[in-house]
Formats: sequence, C-alpha cells, structure tokens
Amino acid sequence: MSLQVLVVEDDRSIREMMRQALSLEGFAVRTAVSVSEATSMVEHATPDLMLLDLGLPDGDGAALLQRIRWRHNFPVLVVSARHQEAQKVQLLDAGADDYLVKPFSVAELLARIRVALRHRGTTVAAAITRHTLEGLDIDLDVRSVHLDGAELHLTPTEFNLLARLVRSAGKVVTHRQLLLDVWGAEYVDHTHYVRLYMGQLRAKLEHNPAEPRHLLTEVGVGYRIATA
Amino acid sequence: MTHSSTLPQHTRTARQAVWLLVLLALPTGLGLALNAQITVMTQAMLYVLAVVVGAYVLPAAASVACAVLAVVGLNFFFVPPRWTFAVDSQEHLVALVVMLVVALVISQLSQRLRRNTALARLHARRAEQLQTLASELAQCTDAKAAAQVGALYMARAFDGPTVLALRAQDDALQAVDTAVALNPSLQDGLRAAMREASVLGPGTGRWPGLNAWYLPLGTAQHMHGAVCIQNIDASDETGREHAQALCALVAQTLERVQLGREMALANERNTRQQLQNTFLAAVSHDLRTPLAALVGNASSLLTQRDKMTFHEQASLLEDIVRSVSHLSRLTDNTLQLVQLTNTAEPLAVDWEALEEIAGACVARQRLAGAGTRIRLHMPADLPLVRVNAVLMAQLLDNLLDNALKYSEDAVDLKVRLCKGQMQLMVQDRGPVIPPDVHAQIFEPYSRGDRSGKQGAGLGLALCRAIARAHGGQISLRVRQGGGNSFRVCVPLAAEVPTAPPGEPL
Repeated sequence: MSLQVLVVEDDRSIREMMRQALSLEGFAVRTAVSVSEATSMVEHATPDLMLLDLGLPDGDGAALLQRIRWRHNFPVLVVSARHQEAQKVQLLDAGADDYLVKPFSVAELLARIRVALRHRGTTVAAAITRHTLEGLDIDLDVRSVHLDGAELHLTPTEFNLLARLVRSAGKVVTHRQLLLDVWGAEYVDHTHYVRLYMGQLRAKLEHNPAEPRHLLTEVGVGYRIATA
Repeated sequence: MTHSSTLPQHTRTARQAVWLLVLLALPTGLGLALNAQITVMTQAMLYVLAVVVGAYVLPAAASVACAVLAVVGLNFFFVPPRWTFAVDSQEHLVALVVMLVVALVISQLSQRLRRNTALARLHARRAEQLQTLASELAQCTDAKAAAQVGALYMARAFDGPTVLALRAQDDALQAVDTAVALNPSLQDGLRAAMREASVLGPGTGRWPGLNAWYLPLGTAQHMHGAVCIQNIDASDETGREHAQALCALVAQTLERVQLGREMALANERNTRQQLQNTFLAAVSHDLRTPLAALVGNASSLLTQRDKMTFHEQASLLEDIVRSVSHLSRLTDNTLQLVQLTNTAEPLAVDWEALEEIAGACVARQRLAGAGTRIRLHMPADLPLVRVNAVLMAQLLDNLLDNALKYSEDAVDLKVRLCKGQMQLMVQDRGPVIPPDVHAQIFEPYSRGDRSGKQGAGLGLALCRAIARAHGGQISLRVRQGGGNSFRVCVPLAAEVPTAPPGEPL
C-alpha cells in the first residue's frame, strides 16, 4: 500500500504541481484547500504525512497543527513564503517537522519528505542514536564522537547540543527548541548561547568551519545536521 | 511673588516683635549696666546702631517702629529727668528730634536698598529661568513635552495657580495638567487671548477687571494655545514681561516642533511618491523582459515540442527556470524594500554570527551553480552582532548575485573586524563601475548600466536599506588591481555577550 500524503494548499497551481509530483513518486495524494477541509480529512483518514501551507483563507495553520498534535503523530511539513519567517518558526516550535520556502524545486520537496518519513514515530521513542556521514561518526549510546577515526572531546553542553541535532538528523531544529532541550526553559531567550556553542562545535567537527559540511545553518530559523 | 516668606502671617508678626524687643533691650540693658561710664550721647549712638540693624532685618513698618521706640526709649531711660517722658533742656529736645530724623532716614535708606537687592535677585532668577527653560525646550521633540516643561516653569515663576492649555486638532482646548478642568470663564479668557494674539488682564489695558493674566502661545498666524496666571498684581509690570518672555519661548518651541512634523510628513509623502515611481519603472523593465522570455519559451514548448530535439527542449526549460528565479528574486527584493521603507517598527534583531550567515549564503550560491567561484575569507572568533539574520542574508545574496553576474572570475567574500565595526566585503574582478556613478548606484532602480545585462534593479537599493536599518552603511570602491569592492559596515554592540558560565569553552 502506498503512503498517504495530504496536501493543504489554497493556490490551485501549486496544489496541482505538488499533487502531480508526489503521484509520480508513488504517493497516494489527497488535497484540501482550507483549514476546515483539512481538519475533516484528517478525522476521516489519518495521512502518513501532511504538507501545510501558511496563510490559508479560513484561518491559522497553527491552530490546526495544535489540534492535530493532540491525537496524531504523523510528520507535518510547513510550506511558506519567504517573508513569513516568524509564523514558520512558530509552527516549527508548535510541533511541525520541517519547512519548505516557496518557490521550491520538486527535488527539495521530495528530499524533505524522505527525511520526515524516516523520522516517523521518533517523538515517542528516540530512534536515532547513531549518525554517520563522511568521516563523522556520532554514537549517542556510548557518548562518543569520532572524526576521521580520531575521537573528539566535547564538553557536556557541546555534546548535548550535538545529540539534540542528531536525534532530529536531517530535520531543522529551531533555536528555541535547542535552548529549551539543552539549557532549559529559563534560557529560551539566550540565543547567543546557541551561536557561541555552535561555533565551538563547528571548530571541532568541521574541516572548514566557515563552510560547514555537517552542521548547517537555516538562517533565521535554526540548525540541521546534514544526512546526505 | 516667590520671594515672600512661606510662613503664616501671625508667626511672622511674632518673630518681628521678638526681633524688635531684643534690638531695643540690648542698648537699654547695656546703658543701664554701664550707667556711670557713658554719657547720653554714647547711649544715643547705641540706639542708632540698633535702628540700623533693625532696618536691615525688619520690614518697613517694623523698622519705623524700631526707630520711634528707640527715641522714646532714650528719652524715657536716659535723658534727664530719667524714668519720665519729660525733657528738661532744649538741647536734649533738639537732640531727640535729630535722632528721630536720623533713625527714620536710615530706616528708609536701608529699606530701599533691600528692595533693590530683592529686585535684582528676582531679575537674576528670572533671567536664569529663561535660560534654563530655553535649553530644556531645545531638547523637546514633541509638543506635549514642550508644553509640560512650559507649564512647570510657569508654576515655578508665579505664586498663583497657572494653567497652560494647548489647542487640539479639533480646536478644543486641553490643559497640559489633565487634572485641571477648564471652566467656561477660564476657557473664554484663554480663547480671547488666542483670538486677539495679545496679553489680556490687569495692567495691559484690556480686560483690566480680571484677577488674572491671559497670555497667548504663538502669533496670529500660528496659534498653539494660551496660558492663564491667576492672583497677580496689576502693577507688577516686570512680572508680566517675564510671563510674556516665558510664553514666547514655549511658543517658539511649539512652532519648531510643528514645522518639523510637517516637514517629516512632506518628506514621507515625497519618499513614497519616489518609491511608487521606482516600482513603476521596475515593472516596466525588470518584469517585462523576463516575462517576455517566459511567454516565448513556454509557448514554443507548447506548440513546437514535437519538432524539437530533447536537447532543445531542455534548453528552453532551463531558460524558463532562470527567468522565473530572476522574477522570484525581484519580487522578494521589491517586497522587502517596500516593507523596510514603509514601516516605522524597529527591526527584529538577535545575536547572530555573521560568519554563519555568510557561510549559509555561500553554500546556497554553490548549490545554485556558483561552484568554486566564491572564495570565503574569515578569521576565527569574530564577535556576535545584533542583526536580523534573514535580512543580512538577503543583503549578501544580492551582493553575491551581482558580483557573480557581472564578472567571470572568482568573487571574494570577506568578513572582518575593523575599528569597532564588522565589515562584509564582496569583491569582484568584473568591469569597473565608474566612480562617478558610485553615488547613484544605491538609488532604487539605477543600474549604472553594467554592460546591458539584466540587473537586479532594486537589489542594491535594498542592500542600502538593510544596512541602514541596522545602523550601518554600504559603500562601493574601485578594487585595487581591477574590479569592484562593495563594503557593508555593521556597528558592534556596546556589550558583546560571552559564553554562559559553568563550563569552559
């Protein structure tokens, strides 16, 4: 049985583009044009993944996401225009899995969907404890990090920060989520902590910290650890 | 007036009486004690001394009383026959009369001296008041603050209740101190002063029956409000002049503030008009050209696809993607520029690492095909800056796009710390932009005609808007050895945050 994708998008041409591209890749695609339609479709049959456009005509994607997260755990990808940074980050913090900025290519769309599906269920059990890419080998179970075979020594905070990214490998993690999970709720405004520690991590993990291969910056949103 | 004592009347009278008694008791007591040693003449001198001191420390009436009582005391206690008011010789009578005249003259002279001193002090204080008011008003940037400062000075300068009211836009009068209700008679007075643009009240020849002065704030052409000062003295001409001088200062400031506001509004209208013209120009060129290419390419694919080779089709599709991404960038830039130009809201900034933003931009350009053409130069350990990351990324994207478009060689992106500022530099080896167009190249939609290529139109204007929104600036120089060098400076924050405590970095 093919995977069910629900596309919630009010613009007809973008909706059709996504429907066609996803059908070609073998997904079973259903579409909705509004928050209310999406709500009833989720009630009727739970999809395996949802693409949610920001700025729907009848309301707030955030409210929809909140209702969905009460009961369901399927990945939600936010689709936004470039100037909607604040809303985008808000939705990511509220439980969306990742985001795409319009205009995007079909290749980007498929890559994001693949990462999101790989993570299905990880909010219940931390499935990913091992991350390997191009000489970087991170094992959360034994708390070890190797680069090109040599063990790296990280401070506890550096390791926690890296571990948080690894658990969501390939997905964006917002600044707020990082501060919340690594430092705690009272530090969510200390965004400079994340910047300083990320700089330190890059200095240890990256061959060229200025142009990171692993610890990627999502400007204005957060960070993601590369999986490919 | 403010120089009168704040003590209640009966306390003051009692204190004067005590002074009087002490002043007279001292020479009397001294005279009685030294009875054998001194003559009547010396005794008279002691009393005159008491009168002189009294004239300095007592008000006019008490001072005269002191003079009279001193003569009476001399007569009673010391002039023979002693312990009576009778005078036995003519010489003593003359002496007593002369002493009375001398005492009264001294009293009058020192009273006048005291009055003049007090007046000089008052003038000095008022001059100082005018001076400090002027300097405080110079710092006021809005009418309300100026009126509040004015009202404060009025209250300080005059004893009676003072009211400063401003004319609102709907012509209603509003007292600066909102606790004060403007009753109808007060309103009438204020409005009359504003209508006639002159001072009304006692001593002015207009409305002499009032117990208050009404002073206008402004001239007949530009009237901003009026002031009422109650419980005044009709003969206090210098007081009225002072009030007028204070009002003139406040009115000047109100006028300046209003002119400034009108000028800012006119500027804003002007800028908006310019922006509109700019967008019209942008639409007429920067949108039309890629749109025409899009329509052409897409329609030829639609109608002639069967006759084309696979390679030809792919080439047309590539053109379409290129045109569309250009349109997308143009739309982003236009929207962002409009937003930055039209909003008064402060920028949402956060602590950011510029090298991180630069790295992300370079990574995006490499993905889009710039490959190894961009060279990144950054020292380690640059301080964090307060910026809006998305806008800074858009600025860098625009500069990199431009540099890659107009030159074939490598493009250098440098981030460095220089003289308390962070500098971002994008340098190319493309055709040198002539220095005489450097100034206008950041104006919206002036492309500096760089070899006829499709320009970003608003790209550099947006770069400048973003740099300025961060309190920074952007400049262009001819690069040594050929090419162009764009430099963006962003100020460093006064306090750069350091790592959290508890763990060595």
